[in-house]
Amino acid sequence: MLRRLWSSTFGVVALVALAFAAATLGIGMVAHDVTHEALEQQLDHRAAVETRALMHEASEGGIKAVAATLRARAAGRSTSSLDYLLVDGSGRRLAGTMTALMPIREGYEEFFRFRRGGYEGVGQALTTVLKGGTLVVVADRNELYAIDRTLQRLFAGALAAVLALGIGAAAIIALLTRRRLARIDSTALAIIGGDLARRVPRDGSGSEFDRLAATLNRMLDRIGTLMDNLRQVSSDVAHDLRTPLTRLYSFLERASADQAVDRREALEAARVQAAELLELFAALLRITEIEGLAERRSLAPVDLSALLDEMADTYRPDFEAGGRQLDTAIVTDLKVYGDRRLLAQAVSNLLENTLRHTPEGTRAMLSAVVKDGSVEVALEDDGPGVAPADAARLFQRFARADAARTTPGHGLGLALVKAVAVGHGGDAVIGAPRSGFGVRLWIPLAR
Amino acid sequence: MRILIVEDDAETSGFVARGLSELGHQVATSADGRDGLFQATDGRFDALVVDRMLPGLDGLALIKALRATGNATPALMLTAVGGIVDRVEGLESGADDYLVKPFAFSELAARVHALGRRPTVQTEANLLVVGGIELDLHRRTVTRQGRRVTVQPREFALLAELMRNPRRVMTRTMLLERVWDFDFDPKTNIVETHLSRLRSKLNAGFDEDAIETVRGAGYMIRSV
Repeated sequence: MLRRLWSSTFGVVALVALAFAAATLGIGMVAHDVTHEALEQQLDHRAAVETRALMHEASEGGIKAVAATLRARAAGRSTSSLDYLLVDGSGRRLAGTMTALMPIREGYEEFFRFRRGGYEGVGQALTTVLKGGTLVVVADRNELYAIDRTLQRLFAGALAAVLALGIGAAAIIALLTRRRLARIDSTALAIIGGDLARRVPRDGSGSEFDRLAATLNRMLDRIGTLMDNLRQVSSDVAHDLRTPLTRLYSFLERASADQAVDRREALEAARVQAAELLELFAALLRITEIEGLAERRSLAPVDLSALLDEMADTYRPDFEAGGRQLDTAIVTDLKVYGDRRLLAQAVSNLLENTLRHTPEGTRAMLSAVVKDGSVEVALEDDGPGVAPADAARLFQRFARADAARTTPGHGLGLALVKAVAVGHGGDAVIGAPRSGFGVRLWIPLAR
Repeated sequence: MRILIVEDDAETSGFVARGLSELGHQVATSADGRDGLFQATDGRFDALVVDRMLPGLDGLALIKALRATGNATPALMLTAVGGIVDRVEGLESGADDYLVKPFAFSELAARVHALGRRPTVQTEANLLVVGGIELDLHRRTVTRQGRRVTVQPREFALLAELMRNPRRVMTRTMLLERVWDFDFDPKTNIVETHLSRLRSKLNAGFDEDAIETVRGAGYMIRSV
């Protein structure tokens, strides 16, 4: 019950209000007791002082003098005065302002009942035995009770105010919170209902709720992008798989025909098609894996300069065999934190792109420099380049420049390059030099 | 060689077993992890081929358990997922090599072969000598019949890998992994390109080809 109350905004504020009320009550009770005690002592003190004065008179003028004084006191009596009773040795009343309603005993009596005229009261009495009689001095507790009642009323009022304010505040805060959350809630419900474009309305106040709304909206945007991406990829995969699968099917059909003359060739062609399909899947899975950042475990310091040199050495023979040229301008000792094999694959994809899509005689330059805390790796060539419209979408999966439609490839190479760069906390752009084609990527330097 | 195949997919298991038997190996099969571990613990095998996903006990756990008992039978792990993390996990569990499905049988055969004869303790000699070719890993020099051959760093690494594995076929993928540290298959035939360069340098002035091409499988250094 308490836990359930604690988990709602109303509950939290209400509990805090209750705690305040309890504290107020506690303070009130202590204050009441302390005041009450002090007043009682004061009443006793008054009776004692008066008794001492009367005793002094008795020692000088005897009991008669006391009786005379008491009669004088009775004449000039006021509401806050003490009450007196003086009896002789046999208990006969000699003087006084009241009559006792209970037996008289020597010493202090906290609750002494007495009657004065038509008034019956309770007072604190001090009874003293004198020579020839007994003197009772009573201080009425009426006053004390009045102060007690005032204090009680005061604290009850304060308590009620604290409770009312607390519960009121709880209700208001709960209402406001609920109303603000309701906006997020209704947005979430709309999205569940299929309206994926809905976003949490913002009031621009910069309050915590507004900031939460902004964060949620950014999250929803990100999810939206991923969803679009996924939808795009699914349809692309379906589309791009149809061609090789159809070819595979027709090769197999040919091979299984009864009078197949070229069975061996048809089977080999089918095998090549199947291999191509598998390769496409491998590339897709690889990109997905990198984007999912599932590879964090394999990150380690990598000497990117050495890797780039090695890659250039590896591919230079093929460049030269095709009448192309591969130059390098790689700053030495560039260390990054990453996955060596993924970086190698990204660079390999770039170099193979150049090999595949440029004519003989093309010169390419692989360079690496430090720029703003990152290594900027660039591969640029003086080949025919791509149309600007194509350049913008080359990083998308299955995107291929129109001119490249006739060359083999699945259009995943640059998508992987981008994914690797982003996966390493960097980025990649198509940055065509004056003429020709170029890709630049940034990988943050290892710290 | 005596080879144990632990694979739950009957088709793959049968295909691999048939192929390895045809190559003259004695093959035993098991379709679940627990039984596989039980058989492997016998220690009578020269090599294990273990699928990663198995009923009962998965491949990683199987090899870990086997290694925990001190059994060092070389193991090749098969997997349907080629993730980098999976590869690292596979090798960390104690597997000696890792092959991603689908694979060509020739690839598997070459790897099993390489595993089986892998010496238990790999001593890195500074000088490799095979079939008249001497390769000094320390001074990074190559000679054939005493005649100096100048090679590029990649070609040197390629030759060293072939010479470390005499009488064993090295497939394209194995060379890509071991010489280039590539776990992907580049479109360009970089292995072929570098091999043909290396070959022409090694063979200059000699009648006999120093590197043998095994059709449909890979390459092997000529040891006589």
